[in-house]
Amino acid sequence: MSVVNYGTREITCKIVYYGPGRSGKTTNLQHVFSQLPDERKGKMVSLATDTDRTLFFDFLPLDLGTISGFATRFQLYTVPGQVYYAATRKLVLQGVDGVVFVADSQSRQRAENIESLQDLHANLADEGLDPRSVPLVMQYNKRDLPPSELSTVEEMDEVLNFRGVPHFSAAAAVGGKGVFETLRSISTLVLARLSAPATRES
Amino acid sequence: MAKGASQEAEEGGEFADFLADVSKEIAQRVESLDKRATPAAAPAAAEKKRTPIAGDQGVIVEWPNIADRMIEEMR
Repeated sequence: MSVVNYGTREITCKIVYYGPGRSGKTTNLQHVFSQLPDERKGKMVSLATDTDRTLFFDFLPLDLGTISGFATRFQLYTVPGQVYYAATRKLVLQGVDGVVFVADSQSRQRAENIESLQDLHANLADEGLDPRSVPLVMQYNKRDLPPSELSTVEEMDEVLNFRGVPHFSAAAAVGGKGVFETLRSISTLVLARLSAPATRES
Repeated sequence: MAKGASQEAEEGGEFADFLADVSKEIAQRVESLDKRATPAAAPAAAEKKRTPIAGDQGVIVEWPNIADRMIEEMR
């Protein structure tokens, strides 16, 4: 996966939505897809079970056209959140340029959020990537639920966001709130690395 | 969403805003990469290697003579 390829004048960014099961990763992609103008609507590949849980992964290619002479493509992926799909998560993370961690704001999901974040770090390290430097954005989803059921944003930050990366606390992916703000933020972080010395090229 | 969700969906408003921001970001990055690709460091290197001027204090101006003397002394 290359971020920028000067030879072919292409920019390709792979962004992975990571997080525990049922946190709203697929819903994020579905909202992005729903907002695409018809001429840009490709195929969103999604394999879901009868219970709406992602079986393998979701894939949404975003062809942004030619920007500043570069054919620009964003590839959005989700991973299956369930613990037993560890191998798939590793596979999807290969060549990742940026990660959106979609956390479930419900208090009772705290342990699942932490476990998923640890899983993300372990898998990034296995990929040879430094979890402390990979572009990352936090999305605290389901903030539209009753406050009594939710962890506060400060609690979420304290438990999950030790890197102090951008977070979007108002996200309620079902209504689309915060979805594009999150995508815009991770895109900016990923694109900022185009001029970094460590920019990968293929 | 707070306002005009259906209308925004029809017009691809959120996506259009996103695309505008990304385009701006890419344009800036490409410009900075292009600047780095051009040999901006060349003038500095030329400056470093410039021939010493007689008027500079403490600058050795007669390089061939100095080299000859050094070779002579080494013998």
